[in-house]
Amino acid sequence: MQFNTGDSGSNLQSEINITPLVDVVLVLLIIFMVVVPLLMKGYDVDMPQTSAEPTQAEQSQLMLSIAPTACRILEPPAGEGLPADCQVTLDDQKVPAAELPARVAQILGGQPTEKRVLFLAADDSLNYEGVLRIIDLAKSGVEDLKIEFVSTH
Amino acid sequence: MRLGEPAKMQAAINITPLVDVVLVLLIIFMVMAPQMRKGPDVNLPNTSKPSQQGDERGKILVSIDDAGRLWINDQQVEAEHFGDALRAAVGAEQDPKVVIRGDARLNFREVRQAMLAIEQAGFRGVGLIAKHAGAKGE
Repeated sequence: MQFNTGDSGSNLQSEINITPLVDVVLVLLIIFMVVVPLLMKGYDVDMPQTSAEPTQAEQSQLMLSIAPTACRILEPPAGEGLPADCQVTLDDQKVPAAELPARVAQILGGQPTEKRVLFLAADDSLNYEGVLRIIDLAKSGVEDLKIEFVSTH
Repeated sequence: MRLGEPAKMQAAINITPLVDVVLVLLIIFMVMAPQMRKGPDVNLPNTSKPSQQGDERGKILVSIDDAGRLWINDQQVEAEHFGDALRAAVGAEQDPKVVIRGDARLNFREVRQAMLAIEQAGFRGVGLIAKHAGAKGE
């Protein structure tokens, strides 16, 4: 009341209108309640085929093999990424895992989407997390890369 | 102006406690959310760029815990009954997607065997669930 000498207008403006903030927070709360427990992330892969498929043999197959001798990921790899000395076999050539995205991009980058298939043979003794990280590397090179597991037995 | 001002100030609802309560609820839900998932606790593998797999509803969750035990949604299943249990889990859903939540400490063998069993049960393709490296929870 002592502000009515001329300050009353600026006094009213100094209060922040937090009603929109409350609205936003409430909506965020509802979104978190509904969505967060249900969201998942991962990799789509195709399964090892038990029956031989000669139809796919005629295509140019790009085969990625991971041997436990060249890439020792028998335990969950520490930290992020893969051990520096990890090597995989791509198209019968030994490739350091760090070069894998570039090599996959070089071979499959020019192909149409439906031909971007990588056949993956991973040894049974390898750690699952390590195998997923190699899949992650391969997928980071090319978009829409399809991973097809090959049964090694 | 002078007469209207006191009434105007009292008319505004003090929503600060409301904001406090809502923020606390938000934090509670953020903390509780990982425990609301279906299936056993699985230490998911960390990778750098997992793609979105949508949400859990309408999918069959196959979990493999660190001891190699198989779970379908919330139920532990013996390996020999796995195929039957998987077909039973389909229910009314048309061609549901199967996702595997495998523990990071597993050998690839256990996951490959589960994939083979899923393939033999008549499903094509699975999603291998991972979590973004550095992401908190689960």
